[in-house]
Amino acid sequence: MLARLRYTLRETFDSFRRNATLTLAAVITAAISLLGVGLTLLSQHAFDNLLARWEGGVEMIVFMNPTATSDQLQLVEDALTAQSQFIAESTYCDEQCSLTEADRIFAGEPGVRDLLNEENILTQYKTVPTDETDVETLRLVSDAFSELPGVYDVSFAEDQISLISQLQSFFGFRLLMLSVFLLLAAILLIWNTIRTAIFARRREIEVMKLVGATDWFIRIPFMLEGLLHGVIGGALASVGLWAWNTQWTNGVQSFPDNSGFSALVVVDGYDKTVMLIMFVIGALAGAIGSGIAASRFLDV
Amino acid sequence: MIRLENVTKSYSADVVAVRDASFDVAKGEFVFLVGPSGSGKSTLLRMLNRQDRPERGAVWVAGRNIVDMPPGRVPHLRRNIGNIFQDYKLLLEKSVFENVAFAQEVIGRPPHVIKQQVPAVLELVGLAGKEDRLPSQLSGGEQQRVSVARAFVNRPLILLADEPTGNLDPATGEGIMRLLDRINKTGTTVVMATHDQRIVNTMRKRVIQLDRGVIVRDQARGVYE
Ligand SMILES: Nc1ncnc2c1ncn2[C@@H]1O[C@H](COP(=O)(O)OP(=O)(O)OP(=O)(O)O)[C@@H](O)[C@H]1O
Ligand SMILES: [Mg+2]
Repeated sequence: MLARLRYTLRETFDSFRRNATLTLAAVITAAISLLGVGLTLLSQHAFDNLLARWEGGVEMIVFMNPTATSDQLQLVEDALTAQSQFIAESTYCDEQCSLTEADRIFAGEPGVRDLLNEENILTQYKTVPTDETDVETLRLVSDAFSELPGVYDVSFAEDQISLISQLQSFFGFRLLMLSVFLLLAAILLIWNTIRTAIFARRREIEVMKLVGATDWFIRIPFMLEGLLHGVIGGALASVGLWAWNTQWTNGVQSFPDNSGFSALVVVDGYDKTVMLIMFVIGALAGAIGSGIAASRFLDV
Repeated sequence: MIRLENVTKSYSADVVAVRDASFDVAKGEFVFLVGPSGSGKSTLLRMLNRQDRPERGAVWVAGRNIVDMPPGRVPHLRRNIGNIFQDYKLLLEKSVFENVAFAQEVIGRPPHVIKQQVPAVLELVGLAGKEDRLPSQLSGGEQQRVSVARAFVNRPLILLADEPTGNLDPATGEGIMRLLDRINKTGTTVVMATHDQRIVNTMRKRVIQLDRGVIVRDQARGVYE
């Protein structure tokens, strides 16, 4: 067992050395494509932060003063229930809930977030309209709430999110397409590198087969090599992603207050998840590329 | 040990390399395959370790019909069969020791076994002291000895040799034949294809003669022609 492991590792690294140029090309392409995938995921998450308030089909939010009394809250609640023909659902987001949300919304402006506490945070009634309600109708009935005591303001999703969500889907889709094509190129490069490595060692493979080495024994060093291309690509992409995210987050903090983009950062550790995803995709790409090469070109 | 039953192998409609061949080889026998160039000797040898498969007939090796053997079993079949070729098929960037050790390594023999068995077999073929040379630093005869050592190191039941003396001068060729004879005396069955009249005539072993894929003679203690 140990002898096998030693053999496998020796062969894998020998092959790396012999095939340095192709290996480098495969690894770099894998890294860039994975970085593309990673940045897509990361930016989508950042956009989601920006839209945190409006998750779950919320179209209208009634903001309550921090000083609103429970009677005033009850009044708003009753008014919302009375409009059940337009409003399918309304949920109260209390101080704690609103503070948690603020963690995301002010992720890029920790200074602002620190100023918020249970005493001064606006609480919210988040309302989801019924299917038939268009937002214009909702706007018409909204006067019924904005005049009530204790209400700070009423906001509509339409006014805030259309630009952002358009940007999000525009960039998200195109960046992802680009990454997928690059990833395809990476798989092809890995495939070609492994094929070349197999071809370079066809005499050895012929001898191995004649003395009775199993196909898997012959195949595994090559597959491991391809897997490593992918994993190393994932590691480089992780470094790139980390650098990118750090610099962007720092950059966002110097944006003017209320630029509207302060939430466009990822600070909640999601970047670690993305790195893991990049490693997994990288390993898969390597396994696919080398697996196809090893099963198709072993009959040399 | 080996039995062919009505074996036919063709590469295309008009190239029939072996036609309806049948014979038996007992354990420990030494058999020469002779015949003109293109008569099917190499093809026949290749069917004995499943490098080639006949379209018709059965090939029994060590009690199994290997024609329909599942691919997963073929490596285990081959561990019982050593191969020697006219062009040695050594790995040029590996030393003598590594070339022989390779045959053990790739079937998962542990290092301590390799360390013990490789020097022993190199001693047997007369290459003691040349373990660290590369094939390019050896004569043709010495290279063929390495290949014999590699074929024999796993103690196969059967040794297949395809013109092992084809590239060697007569004296060197005789040296290789003495080696194969010794290996045969340890109980290993040897099947050897050759053009070398002198060798066949001096050894006086069983001779199977092919002509255009057909067995035309099968003679105990035979001569070349
Ligand atoms: N891979 C192949 N594809 C097509 N035809 C082949 C192939 N290998 C061998 N043949 C043909 O099969 C016939 C037998 O060839 P084989 O190599 O078995 O002869 P041989 O007796 O070993 O000849 P030699 O003494 O020259 O080595 C020949 O006509 C040859 O041209
Ligand atoms: Mg031949």
